[in-house]
Amino acid sequence: MKNIILFTIDTLRKDSLGVYNKDSNLTPFLDSLSDHALIFTRFHSSGPYTQSSFPGILTSSYYLEFGKSKKLSPRRLLISEALKKNDIETAAFHSNPYLSDYFGWNRGWDIFYDSMQDEVSDMIPYITGDKVNQKAKEWLERYARSTNKKPFFLWIHYMDVHEPYIPKKQFLELVDPSITLTEQEMFELFTNTLLKRDISDLKKVKILRNLYRAGVRETDEYAKEFFHILKQNQMLENSIIFITTDHGDEFAEHNGLSHDGKMYSELIDSPLIMIDFERKEKEICPNLVSNLDIAPTILHLFGLLPEEKFEGNSLLPVNNYPEQGVFGEAIAKTGNHEKSEDLPVYYYRENDLKIIYYQGGENWEFYNLAQDPEEKNNLINSHPRVDELKKKLFPRINRWERI
Amino acid sequence: MNKEKVERNQELIKKSKQVIKEAFEKYDPRKCAITWTGGKDSTTNLWIVRQVCVEENIPLPQVITIDEGDAFPEITDFLVSVSKVWHIDLKWLCNFDVLSACLSHLGNTVQVKRLNKRNQEELKRIEFIEDSFVFEAESYAGNHLMKTVVLNQYIEESGAELIFMALRRDEQAARKEDEYFTHKEGGYLMPEHTRVSPILHFTERDIWDNTHLHNLPYCPLYKIGYRSLGARSSSNPGDIGVPAWEQDLENVPERAGRRQDKEKAMERLRKLGYM
Repeated sequence: MKNIILFTIDTLRKDSLGVYNKDSNLTPFLDSLSDHALIFTRFHSSGPYTQSSFPGILTSSYYLEFGKSKKLSPRRLLISEALKKNDIETAAFHSNPYLSDYFGWNRGWDIFYDSMQDEVSDMIPYITGDKVNQKAKEWLERYARSTNKKPFFLWIHYMDVHEPYIPKKQFLELVDPSITLTEQEMFELFTNTLLKRDISDLKKVKILRNLYRAGVRETDEYAKEFFHILKQNQMLENSIIFITTDHGDEFAEHNGLSHDGKMYSELIDSPLIMIDFERKEKEICPNLVSNLDIAPTILHLFGLLPEEKFEGNSLLPVNNYPEQGVFGEAIAKTGNHEKSEDLPVYYYRENDLKIIYYQGGENWEFYNLAQDPEEKNNLINSHPRVDELKKKLFPRINRWERI
Repeated sequence: MNKEKVERNQELIKKSKQVIKEAFEKYDPRKCAITWTGGKDSTTNLWIVRQVCVEENIPLPQVITIDEGDAFPEITDFLVSVSKVWHIDLKWLCNFDVLSACLSHLGNTVQVKRLNKRNQEELKRIEFIEDSFVFEAESYAGNHLMKTVVLNQYIEESGAELIFMALRRDEQAARKEDEYFTHKEGGYLMPEHTRVSPILHFTERDIWDNTHLHNLPYCPLYKIGYRSLGARSSSNPGDIGVPAWEQDLENVPERAGRRQDKEKAMERLRKLGYM
């Protein structure tokens, strides 16, 4: 039995990775793993921002399942808790405040590092990937030296791609040497343009996009370093590594920036790659899958029985995966802050058809992703299958008020 | 105490008094209230407001204290004894409904449906939809019901327009830009009011210098090492046995002894524009 490593990169757009977009050129290291990869091409986030998506990843449940409580409900079961019950060692290293101890994500971990006690810079309020690596390294080395030879579960999460988009200079030079902004100027762009969701000047949007891309390039180096640490501790061959994200990011595709409460592809269609060095050939899996499936897959790989509280299905074996649609839900916020008057938004996708519902009005959207991948052409009044998808989405609406 | 310190202290107090006078020019003292926890900051604050009232012949506004249900007995004793010496008619406020629902016992579970309608509405307002919570002053629901709601209800019932508070800018980085006066818009269950923090510019060091220079009373817990006093279960001493004012105030965070996770997480989220 192998170790399982869940390696999540916050805000990583699917098209950042070479395995999904051969023109990206931002992730030479991650791309170099593809010979050992099982690549999911139709993997979906259950929400478009951290709080709405991470319940899917770590608890295999939907964001609004237990209402809008800001803290993780005690009724949810974290994958760490499920593993702990079975005596599997669990460790977490990250720097996302929404996933911190305070918000209740620390349950079930033998070691839970959320960086909240460490100093961060004024402009970038999270620690960088190399520092996360350092913390993980200390733990991995201890584990390697210990007599405990049982497999472990490690979750590691980077924030570097996430705004305020202030990448290190050497990576910006690799991506767009024409940008000569100082860190202070980048921060001002974040404050004055991104936070205000101001897309009136497309030149600025393009700069933001390239700063973002430089952040991806930077992250690829941290990923390389992390894999090197695994190798040094002889953990590369005997680990299965999931590489994924919580959501994407928008650069004016749907008149906005960052990741608001929207359900379009740039936020919801996410990368998922499963690395196993014993695999010698790249494999593509086109199953329509959700981030709620990650935790059940981890149980499956540890040879454990499914958990009743997990709503997803194991991604493996790929041929047994049920043919079904995927859901997601969030609050239709604009701007980084969820306001109490903001109402939920839901999506349901089946094959290439996607329906989106904004609560609080009869606001529906319907897209045929095969013909209209950019989701510009709303077919809600014309497509013959609208009613059928509405019916399938309906049971999810306000589900928490009914339980 | 050296001359510079004394001069600095005079300047600090002068500034506070200006703010307090400005407050009394804008608001009727009968429509004001002063919060007093018994901690070092609010005691300093009360002492300065009281001086202005004496000097300007203004009646002292109502002084209030909020019992979160988890107070140190030393703090309670301190409030009682200083009230006597300073002739303060202290109003004790408490959310008794929550206390009775948890049998006044910390760690007991409160069933939301056993709370009165107002408290239930308040929990809905903050989007807390669990059907129960564990009674702890620092928990999400507990903190709201035992502190915020109590103050709001007092403001509503008394018609207070201005509340004197004892926040300090150096308490946490997120307060660096705070203003002396902050207006709170009214809304559902939230009465409109203004808050003023006359000692905003004091540092922790200034508070202790002022306390010693003017011989102000302080809670004995500070002498045995506590630097910041919140709820009993969430406050821990800094250097045990070393009086607060002798500790490394400049380099060790003041609230190192208090649960900091919330503040850290909130500050980072604020920096990312999430708050």
